[in-house]
Amino acid sequence: MRKLLSLRTAAAALTMAAAVTLTATSATAEKKVVIGATGNIYGWNPYQDSAAQMYGIWCNIYGCLCRYDFKKADYSPMLAKSWSVNPKDPNEWTFKLRKDVKSHSGAELTAADVVHTINRIKTDKQSSQKQNVRPLKSATAIDKHTVRMITKKPTAHLLQHVCDIYAITRKAVFDKHGPRDADRKHPDGFGPYKLDRVVIGEQVITKRAKNSVFGNKDNPDVLIWRKMAEVEQRVTALLNGEIQIAQFIPPHLMKRVEAGKGTKLSYTDSVEIMMLLMNPAFKPWDNKKLRQAVAHAIDRDMLIKTILQGMAGKLKGAIGPGQIGYDADRSKAFDLQYDPAKAARLVKEAGYPNGVDVEMSTPVGRYVNDKIITQAIVPMLAKVGIRAKLLTPEWSTQWANVRKGKRSFFYQGRGSVIDPGPALAQYFKTGVSPRIKYSNPKYDALFDEVAKEFDPKKRQKLINDAIAVLVDDVPAVFMWRHRLAYGVANNVTISPPANGRIYGENIRIK
Amino acid sequence: MFGYIVRRMIGTLPVMLLISLLVFMLVQAAPGDPADLLLSDEASKEDIEEARIRWGLDQPVYVQYWRFLVAALQGDLGMSFRYADPVLLLIVDRLPATIELAFFSIVIAVIVALPLGVWAGARPNSWVDNLGSIVGFFGISMPNFWFGIMLILVVSGVLNLLPSAGRETYGVAGDPITGFYILDSVIQRNWAAAWDGIKYIILPATALGTNMMGIMMRVTRSSVLEVMHEDYVITARAKGAKESTVLWHHAVRNAMIPIITVVGLELGTLLSGSIIVETVFSWPGGGSLLISAITARDYPLITGTVLCYTFAFVMINFAIDVMYGLIDPRIRFDK
Repeated sequence: MRKLLSLRTAAAALTMAAAVTLTATSATAEKKVVIGATGNIYGWNPYQDSAAQMYGIWCNIYGCLCRYDFKKADYSPMLAKSWSVNPKDPNEWTFKLRKDVKSHSGAELTAADVVHTINRIKTDKQSSQKQNVRPLKSATAIDKHTVRMITKKPTAHLLQHVCDIYAITRKAVFDKHGPRDADRKHPDGFGPYKLDRVVIGEQVITKRAKNSVFGNKDNPDVLIWRKMAEVEQRVTALLNGEIQIAQFIPPHLMKRVEAGKGTKLSYTDSVEIMMLLMNPAFKPWDNKKLRQAVAHAIDRDMLIKTILQGMAGKLKGAIGPGQIGYDADRSKAFDLQYDPAKAARLVKEAGYPNGVDVEMSTPVGRYVNDKIITQAIVPMLAKVGIRAKLLTPEWSTQWANVRKGKRSFFYQGRGSVIDPGPALAQYFKTGVSPRIKYSNPKYDALFDEVAKEFDPKKRQKLINDAIAVLVDDVPAVFMWRHRLAYGVANNVTISPPANGRIYGENIRIK
Repeated sequence: MFGYIVRRMIGTLPVMLLISLLVFMLVQAAPGDPADLLLSDEASKEDIEEARIRWGLDQPVYVQYWRFLVAALQGDLGMSFRYADPVLLLIVDRLPATIELAFFSIVIAVIVALPLGVWAGARPNSWVDNLGSIVGFFGISMPNFWFGIMLILVVSGVLNLLPSAGRETYGVAGDPITGFYILDSVIQRNWAAAWDGIKYIILPATALGTNMMGIMMRVTRSSVLEVMHEDYVITARAKGAKESTVLWHHAVRNAMIPIITVVGLELGTLLSGSIIVETVFSWPGGGSLLISAITARDYPLITGTVLCYTFAFVMINFAIDVMYGLIDPRIRFDK
């Protein structure tokens, strides 16, 4: 009897081993890349949230009209082959669609799908992307492959709202199945990857669409975004081979990835601009000289070298290379040098011979080494007579206060700055948002011009003129853009995206 | 017994009502507006206001609570702000993962703690007792989030023995039947998937169950130690019963009441501990759902999840009370 039992046990073990081996073999047949992602996975509706990660995922699946190419520092076509603005009417944009694009089920891409997408972003009860269609007055299908968009007023930065943003969903599927079932049960995109499965809060599984005109044979067959909020976990999983790409490796863990036998690091400069903002609605930040003193009191080079271990590019002005409007020559004049003696003098000239007490706040864990950076800034400020008390609320509290304009002096990032128009208007143009109650009519006028100017050269000049006003007024110290490190398996190559969107076509696997 | 069950069931209603009120008020009192947190950086004041109206946040708190209560009594816990899905569906989707994790944690705790506790109690001051004390104190004093991170670093990172995060490997499992991944794999006779599930659950279950293991071990030891001096044990020995019979048949059975009480109480701790452990191990259960809801100030999801956890806690205590009667026939409920 015992022999029989042990034989049965052995047989069961063999079956299990065989099954495991078989599964492993079949798994290796598919080239799979798992991304250890920091963002959450929200659901099936491609318009229900506005996080960079999900924009990227939906663009992989449904396809976008266009995307930003950081190497070219310009927009590149995807579902749209070209676009133009009517020289006689700057409100009129025309997008020509590619005729060779088919959905995963073989349906043709039409202008009606684009119009439907815009309407859905505007009217879907769950949409969190309405800000992206707000500049539009209307969208019409001119013919099967041409869409006309009319803006409410000239909006030179319209593509910032369109490219990498509008995930084009099919009108026919929506009409037939309704929003819930269309997204969940019948997702039929135009992008290079098909939606296989969504597990809310955990992962999105996509598979290469065989009929797609995008991508090539070196791209992974299966691309999975798996939520891994903890960085230790992402690094361990990468070193173990559980995942092939780990997002956002902080400086202190980079050596571990570099030392891994099968792993390497890939870098990109983020388009998120990090700022130390001073709200003139609060005293003493209504005092320009004190704001200028802060700018000269902070040794940004030292902070980048030590705390960020070189993983940031100092901002000279509000933007850097790769962002629309960046001018390397003019930016040299925007570099406010570290000069504590000048800063101390400015504090006195500002009317504070005995120094001044202020409150500074930062979220904790939202940005790379945010708390340590601000802790290091405190003594720098103290040295010139600005005694800062550091507040470190959790992100939810800090963000709610920032949005309501209840923070006076704070460390903050602004992401997705490809075209600086919307971001710089949001923070510094009079009345756009309550975050910073800074107001300068000269700056407002310049930014009105920026929005209307379509000529790239003239627009670049206007953007830099506006930045010059900010550099002089210093409502914010433009600190740096982080250099982002991605942990990558040796058999995978990727050019990490500066805007957090990972596209399967940019991943190659051996 | 039936009357007792009915009375207890009715008794849970005020508890649930009170908890719902407390949670509702507490989340409203927390700083941070959901509309601010959930909408994009680029959202305008109008977008934020529109979202607040859509979610009913423009109404006074007592109106919001009343609406919630009326809907909840009809089985509707509302729509999640964050996931735009019914809260109940989201919880039901996640529950199997949490139950599976809790079950394996208990299994690990019982397998280690019960024999060690009984042995230590039967032979006080022996090397087994000393070993048990070390294991017990280790389990009690180790914070589970820290122990979880250590397990990831050592077992997954250094030794590369087990996966560090998630619940399954892509492409291994079949279609879900019950939502319990390992059970489904066994039903489908997909042994590779079952093994895959076990590999994924070992680390989080160990991190979660260690605390319970420590407490259970200590309670078992002291409980066994106490009954070993009872008259009926001495009588059993005097009648010539084997030592193992004395221990397992007479002593352990009588020592079970305090052990079950502790297990019951610890199940509640297990549920709350799972919230942290699930986050550390990216385990897709109710705990990680609650954390993401709190971060996003997703009021309906927070309230719904906490209510479900409360209900589970109340039910566990109720089940433990019923079990007393089954284990000890002297306990009666009808009076």
